[in-house]
Amino acid sequence: MAKIPINIDGTALEVEQGQTILEICQANGIEILTMCHMKGLGDVGACRLCLVEIEGINKLLPACTTKVAANQVIKTKTEKIKKYQKITTELLFAVCVSNGKCELQDLGYKVGMTHVRFPYLFPQCEVDTSHPWYVMDHNRCITCTRCVRVCSQVEGSYNWGVKNRGVSSRIISDFNTPWGESTTCTACSKCVHSCPTGAIWPKAIVQGQLTKSPQMIADLVERRKMNL
Amino acid sequence: MKRKTIATVWLGGCSGCHMSLLDIDERILEVAKLADILKSPIVDGKEFPEVDVALVEGSVTSDEHQHELEVIRQKSKILISLGDCAVTSNVTSMRNQFNKEDVLNYAYKEAISNDGQGQMPGGPWPLLHLIEKVVPLHEVVKVDYFIPGCPPSADTIFYVLFELLNDRIPDLSAERKLKYG
Repeated sequence: MAKIPINIDGTALEVEQGQTILEICQANGIEILTMCHMKGLGDVGACRLCLVEIEGINKLLPACTTKVAANQVIKTKTEKIKKYQKITTELLFAVCVSNGKCELQDLGYKVGMTHVRFPYLFPQCEVDTSHPWYVMDHNRCITCTRCVRVCSQVEGSYNWGVKNRGVSSRIISDFNTPWGESTTCTACSKCVHSCPTGAIWPKAIVQGQLTKSPQMIADLVERRKMNL
Repeated sequence: MKRKTIATVWLGGCSGCHMSLLDIDERILEVAKLADILKSPIVDGKEFPEVDVALVEGSVTSDEHQHELEVIRQKSKILISLGDCAVTSNVTSMRNQFNKEDVLNYAYKEAISNDGQGQMPGGPWPLLHLIEKVVPLHEVVKVDYFIPGCPPSADTIFYVLFELLNDRIPDLSAERKLKYG
């Protein structure tokens, strides 16, 4: 495939066309903060953490869904980006007791967040305990949609979906019915392992003991590509 | 270096942050070398004095807390939000999901432990007035420093206090002392 020249943080690179900025950065050891991105799933640019500056474009663009183009000059570590990463992190923060095992907490430590500057909205969020094995706690959900994507793209069940927009966005099971009544869910637990917070968790495990393996999903996707 | 003055305050919280403060153990002697604790739940003092550092635990849940916090802000050079209730409003804000009157009725009238005999305290209202929604400190006054944690560890509290008393600005991230929950 044709190679094109680009520049990231002052380093000139020759890269293959068709890749996203995030893929290029990860392949070249340039750290980009992510949350809704997960190896093995298609990207949607939901969380806005991977925003980068591109010369000549006056808004920040998400690295995960923006493809490289010839002669792009990209910056990933400016003061403006750091400022927005902190704002985004603060806006994502909910109360979470998946303590010490939570990707969102790790993110807070990375950007040095000590408090949330925005007034809390205290949205009414339900806890769905209807499934025999798993719980969906909407209070801890950041609507990254990893569960929605793993369910459709990897498991092929299409149990999870999204209703409403903005602050009213909620993850739904089937047609907004209790998870336990789902006719599509195969109880495969891929959503449990994809969830970066403590929103989806197995009943059998005490909180704080929860270890998730998102890497398992990426491995599965790779193995399925093999011709045996 | 001039001796500093400290106050510690307990607003809408469980006093767990003060327990953690006491857990600095013998290091309190290091603090005592540099500063006097003028006001605290463990110090007998009525009026809030002028201080260099005020450590405030708990969220703002009532008109009384609101007033107290405004006085603390006026009289303190550095105001610190100590712990998750002060920083996020935490457990105390669980009532924000409900109507304030429903919360009071449930506590005083309907609670099972009242055996159906419960009633609201009568006469001139003897309690502080709950505000509609519980809020963290920085939604009421300017806060200079935040120590999250439920409670923050004794090490973290001592680190912040010791740095401030030595005229240095503490950096929880750089020290890897930032810890949620």
